[in-house]
Amino acid sequence: MTKRIALAQLTSCWGCDQSLVDLHLGLLTVLPEIEIVFWPAVVDFKLKDLESMPDQSIHIGLVEGSCRTEEDVHLLNVMREKSKTLVAWGVCSCYGGIQGLANQWNLEELVDRKFMKADTVTDPRVPSENVPVFTETVQPNVDIVEFDVLLPGCPPTSKNLLDALTALISGKPFDLPEKSVCDQCSKVKQDKHIKEFHRTHEGHIDPSKCLLDQGYLCLGFATIGLCGAICPNVNTPCKGCFGPVIRVRDHGAKIISALGAVAEMEPDKLRESFPDPIGSFYFTDYAASYLSRIRTETRRKKKK
Amino acid sequence: MFKELYKSRLRCQGVTNGLTAAGQKSASTQKPKTKVEDRFEPRILAFCCNWCSYAGADLAGTSRMQMPPNMRIIRVNCTGRIDPVFVLEALNQGADGVLISGCHPGDCHYTTGNLKMKSRFALLQKMLEEAGIEPERVHLQWASAAEGDVFTQGITSMVERIKALGPNPVKKD
Repeated sequence: MTKRIALAQLTSCWGCDQSLVDLHLGLLTVLPEIEIVFWPAVVDFKLKDLESMPDQSIHIGLVEGSCRTEEDVHLLNVMREKSKTLVAWGVCSCYGGIQGLANQWNLEELVDRKFMKADTVTDPRVPSENVPVFTETVQPNVDIVEFDVLLPGCPPTSKNLLDALTALISGKPFDLPEKSVCDQCSKVKQDKHIKEFHRTHEGHIDPSKCLLDQGYLCLGFATIGLCGAICPNVNTPCKGCFGPVIRVRDHGAKIISALGAVAEMEPDKLRESFPDPIGSFYFTDYAASYLSRIRTETRRKKKK
Repeated sequence: MFKELYKSRLRCQGVTNGLTAAGQKSASTQKPKTKVEDRFEPRILAFCCNWCSYAGADLAGTSRMQMPPNMRIIRVNCTGRIDPVFVLEALNQGADGVLISGCHPGDCHYTTGNLKMKSRFALLQKMLEEAGIEPERVHLQWASAAEGDVFTQGITSMVERIKALGPNPVKKD
């Protein structure tokens, strides 16, 4: 029996769709098994097409992106109603994504910066017609509806997608790996004695040695090993875009915990090494962090 | 709309294949208040290391030193064991402040655990500041086993500091 599949986009860059399309001929292995019933990124489906389907009629629903507008929230709820298995597809869907970093500011400040004070805008005004209302904060989708499977990644690699899809189509469970990016990285790791942190463009990287040992902020140790360490293997420090290692509750807190242990420098110097700790340590999962939750709650109380 | 969102968030059961803070609910751990308090009495969580500060707190107790009763102490083997996640979790559950008390630099039973905490604390404070949460809610102090008075003083000033800040907005009422 073919499986009915729906692929929905909330607020996102649609990179996850790109990653799926990048499977090229690999898609042929799964295509005969599936029937795509909703995929607005590629075919002209409308929201009402999805709404008119019976509940639980979709075998696998994939949701990418996070909820920045009320329309996103509505689409997410519809997807939950219609899908038997709901997959959080990509890190935006799992942990809020890069747009989660916006939770550092209030909605008014964000709207003001984006629409009124943007450098390229000549006729500043806030759009009000035919646009959905913004949500106050970016909440991780898993806080809004229940998900059955998480597939983090920014975007998940084509191989991750193929693995997940083949498992789900055949009815097997899809479990996230216990490993970190470091486990997949081929560089030689030694005892860490970090005396100084460098920006990526500073100094020369020794391609055989661990980037963190050399003083580059590579977050592979705290990041889930799904990507195959594609960045560190080409001498680019890991930014942690796939989200934390499984069962880690707070990505950034875990990172500063590790940095405090391996950095051999005065606390003040360590503090000055990272001008923007939230941007550096919560690249794609700030919305799921404790800090963001505390701020969101604080804002909500103030509004009352 | 948002009220509904939060309700549905409480309803959701988390997901099956592992998760971060996202799946953690803090609401269930709160005890309902029995009466309305007129005066704000902060609830402060203290992490004390087994070898210095916990013994110092003990000394303060046996010497009958006076200190405010707002502190709940958790004993850890070393301040180096304290993950910043513990501190954030405490704040997220409604603690008004978190005090970390350990051995003086150089006195650590495990040689450098307290120094690791100091480094983590520096980054944690910066992160709190950037996130818009008062960094004064988290405090690091050193108090040896012989310094019951230093411990008492630390707690007293911590309580004063938190009283000036007001309650943690996350606290459920």
